[in-house]
Amino acid sequence: MDTTDKKTASAPNEERFQVTRLTLLTDLWMGRIIRVGGVGVVLAVVGMLLFLVFQVFPLFVGAKVSPLAPVPMAASAQAFGEDEYGEMPFVVEANGRIRFHRVKDGALVREWVPEAELPAVASVRSYPRDGLVVLGLADGSVREVKVTYRADFSQQGQRSLDPQVVAAPPVPVGKAGLPCVEAWSVKSAAGRLLLCRQQEAGRDRLTALRLTERKGLGGKAKITVGTPFAVAADVPDLERVLVPSTADSVVVVRKDGEVRIYAENGEAIEFLQSFRPFEGSADRRVSAAGFIFGNVSVVLANGAGVEEVWSLYPQKQPDGRSLRRWGKIHDAEALPGAGQGIYPAVGNKCYLTVAGGRMQVRNMTTGSIRWDGVAPESPVRQVAFARNYDRFSVLCADGSLRRWEVEDHHPESSFNAFFGKIWYEGAEGPAYTWQSSSGADEFEAKYSLVPLFYGTVKGTIYALLFALPIALLAAVYVSQFLRPEWRKVVKPTMEIMASLPSVVLGFLAGLWLAPLVDASLLKLICVIAVLAPAALCAGFLWSQLPQPVRRRVGPGWEFVWLMPFLLLAGWAAWSAAPWIESTFFTVKDLASGQNVSDFREWWRQTSGLSYDSRNSLVVGFVMGFAVIPLVFTIAEDALSNVPTSLVSGSLACGASRWQTVWRVVVPTAISGIVSAIMIGFGRAIGETMIVVMATGNTPVMEANPFNGMRTLSANIAVELPEAATGHTHFRALFLGACCLFFLTFVINTLAEVLRQRLRERYKVV
Amino acid sequence: MPATMNPTTSRIQVRPATEKEGRKDYISIRDFNFYYGAKKALESISLDVPERRVVAFIGPSGCGKSTLLRNLNRMNDLVDGIRHEGDITINGRSIYDPGLEVISLRRRVGMVFQKSNPFPKSIYENVVYALRVMGVRDRAILDEACETSLRKAALWDEVKDRLQDSALGLSGGQMQRLCIARAIANRPEILLMDEPCSALDPIATGKIEELIHELKEQFTIVIVTHSMQQAARVSDRTAFFYLGKLIEYDTTEKIFMNPSQAQTEAYISGRFG
Ligand SMILES: Nc1ncnc2c1ncn2[C@@H]1O[C@H](COP(=O)(O)OP(=O)(O)OP(=O)(O)O)[C@@H](O)[C@H]1O
Ligand SMILES: [Mg+2]
Repeated sequence: MDTTDKKTASAPNEERFQVTRLTLLTDLWMGRIIRVGGVGVVLAVVGMLLFLVFQVFPLFVGAKVSPLAPVPMAASAQAFGEDEYGEMPFVVEANGRIRFHRVKDGALVREWVPEAELPAVASVRSYPRDGLVVLGLADGSVREVKVTYRADFSQQGQRSLDPQVVAAPPVPVGKAGLPCVEAWSVKSAAGRLLLCRQQEAGRDRLTALRLTERKGLGGKAKITVGTPFAVAADVPDLERVLVPSTADSVVVVRKDGEVRIYAENGEAIEFLQSFRPFEGSADRRVSAAGFIFGNVSVVLANGAGVEEVWSLYPQKQPDGRSLRRWGKIHDAEALPGAGQGIYPAVGNKCYLTVAGGRMQVRNMTTGSIRWDGVAPESPVRQVAFARNYDRFSVLCADGSLRRWEVEDHHPESSFNAFFGKIWYEGAEGPAYTWQSSSGADEFEAKYSLVPLFYGTVKGTIYALLFALPIALLAAVYVSQFLRPEWRKVVKPTMEIMASLPSVVLGFLAGLWLAPLVDASLLKLICVIAVLAPAALCAGFLWSQLPQPVRRRVGPGWEFVWLMPFLLLAGWAAWSAAPWIESTFFTVKDLASGQNVSDFREWWRQTSGLSYDSRNSLVVGFVMGFAVIPLVFTIAEDALSNVPTSLVSGSLACGASRWQTVWRVVVPTAISGIVSAIMIGFGRAIGETMIVVMATGNTPVMEANPFNGMRTLSANIAVELPEAATGHTHFRALFLGACCLFFLTFVINTLAEVLRQRLRERYKVV
Repeated sequence: MPATMNPTTSRIQVRPATEKEGRKDYISIRDFNFYYGAKKALESISLDVPERRVVAFIGPSGCGKSTLLRNLNRMNDLVDGIRHEGDITINGRSIYDPGLEVISLRRRVGMVFQKSNPFPKSIYENVVYALRVMGVRDRAILDEACETSLRKAALWDEVKDRLQDSALGLSGGQMQRLCIARAIANRPEILLMDEPCSALDPIATGKIEELIHELKEQFTIVIVTHSMQQAARVSDRTAFFYLGKLIEYDTTEKIFMNPSQAQTEAYISGRFG
């Protein structure tokens, strides 16, 4: 302390140079607060990105499949079935006996034995999800056995299952006296279809029979038994028969690998088509086959491990008609060995394929392998997926029922599903499709983001095409040529325009502008086409005027000369448009057969493209309207900030005003102009309300200026309210958001790099 | 009209150096008043600049030297709300003649500014800028003009290896010399220099003064300077301004040796300003 004392003593003025504590503290605290703000912004952006990634990540993980305890059942079990929760499965033995076991302790709960007086059981089949057992009897008749579970609740609220078995009387389907080798029973719209396969002198024969159910008076169902008819009588060597649960067709696979399709035609089931899969493969025989949920596709595998998907879709016939026929739609990834079995899931397009000692859960549409695991050592007899795809059970030849728990929330998603061309069932070919919902249950949602990308880019391009030239030229004009007193008016006006809510613009676009443009489309096109030449013409005439006349008009007032030209040209184009339309755009109206002069109709007929009144032009125009003020203000600022000393320097060198602008002002302000463009771009790419309101929001992929588009952001706005949280649809929307984020990130980064380069090059001292 | 302005040929033609005596009133300023808005910056200035001579404007800061200089090539037109009375003629023709294109006037009257203002372009592009805006595309002509101008501005040796580098990488003094090179690249007839040496070291200043001597053979030069020595060294005639008025205008010798006005005397001897 005494040193300071000494100093104060020797230099009494020392205090003058001291900084007060308050100044230092303020400095310190302001520094900290500012740092918190800066870090906060970075954290907010990173947090947002993390949130998006977190939402999207589950889409790209495969299925998690974990084994549950196996249930030992009778070794002679041929088929099995389960209740909804898989608590009490049953097996059907070769002699038709049905045994119910409790999963908890493996105890035998109930047993049902076919009546002894009926013919012996020759074959069994079960439909595990429907609780239906079909018994083929030794005399060629088919017997349906219905299994139901009744849930009882005890006093303590404990649930116990009580299985019930109701057997229908046998229905003679096949040729009497011949044993039924295989039997089916499926439900169609009209009633049930029973099928039975028999063997007679080394030949296979398939016989079908319809059971029509009619509700009689008093609600009692009356069942009419139809007459048996032969199916696929022309095929002597059946390998396997697939009967879809819709009962509208029968797929027969021959021993040599030919697949023949027989389709319902009235009462009969007639030959429709035949094909041979596995072209080019060493083994052309079918070793495993199965219908996929939805019953329009079959997955076929051969002994060489090749797997193909064939499906029913509209195909152009030689006579020009388009008919639904079978064709190959996918080549699945090669199997780890010879195909042994294909078992569909319920409710989605996944299936379990057993091959070469492995089991794989695959998605038919996207081709993705959801899970890959070891198959049981004992041969697989039958596989059944639970109704909500959370479990599957496998009945093995050793009589054990092995069960796996499945955790796969997004079976239909894969990178390919979002970004690749996918051939969906029923489509004519692979395509990029976004179609997230529909009325039908069996509908497969399509989540390709490509059309949305396309729409985003299309909307942005149309908007920028319209906005950038106007905004940048206006900025140059206002900053360099317009009189300062006008500039003081124009600039704030534009800034007010920038703050116009886009929902208002969208509203105007959709409800006011679109009908207006629709009504006088050609007139507008003519007017727009004529404005630029008119301006150039005015400029040329101006330059031809003698200097003294030009001198009269003060600098910044030249636009007064331009105005009449624009007005006159616009008016002329407007009035000439009807004449142009009737001269060049007269076409025959397809509906009435009369000649109409209508540009829209002409466009539809000559280009073959569609015409919507809410189209890209309207969107581009209105979105451009939203973008212009932004780009204008920023670019104008950048241009006005170019030091006047540079402008004077250029003018003093004898450059004209335009040369000065083009060679000195614009290059100097270029980094600011790039920023302006980028901000305009960002606004256009993320713009939502205008697009939602001013287009039809159809996710099409056409550059056609006269139809709409659906952008990523509009897609989110339109569909997020109806998407279930955590559902694939919900996450796909977030994936769209992620892509938007990524797109703007990449483009902004590129622009920023460019801007820095330019700034380095054109920096002003 | 003794000479018709022809913007495309005036800069190329070089008058023969033998023709020693030119017009006495090559630039003629008559009763010139100038206003920035309501503020009167120049008051009834009358002064003649002889052809191929150097005239120096001196005077205390804010007295209107730059304003008058900038009027000679109508750079003040850029300023809003200006007004002038009186007339300025160059070679007999009024610069306010409605038939005269300002651009061609400025091609004839080159200017070096008080603050150096190189364009954010390469050194080369800076120098040939005036030729480029005149539409010269021939690489040979441009290269030649670039080299001669830079040599005259005493910058060639320093930048000859980095002509394509940005002009903004130069030092302050180099930038000023670059601006001089830029101003003389299209060979104007008149060169206006507003304190060209204020940012230069004595060596560069010496080179610029040499350049002025050399240019005098072909150009008419008006130079604003705060350095009495410089005015004395380079100019043939000197004008002294004070508060927007022309106090005295005579041969440099007379102004410095034997000024007729007391204010001039006081200023030159450093008693105010
Ligand atoms: N653009 C302008 N607008 C209004 N007033 C101006 C402008 N430029 C200069 N003036 C005023 O005109 C007067 C003369 O200015 P000028 O620049 O000609 O002075 P100067 O003699 O060149 O001074 P210096 O030696 O400091 O450069 C000053 O009072 C100045 O404030
Ligand atoms: Mg000055």
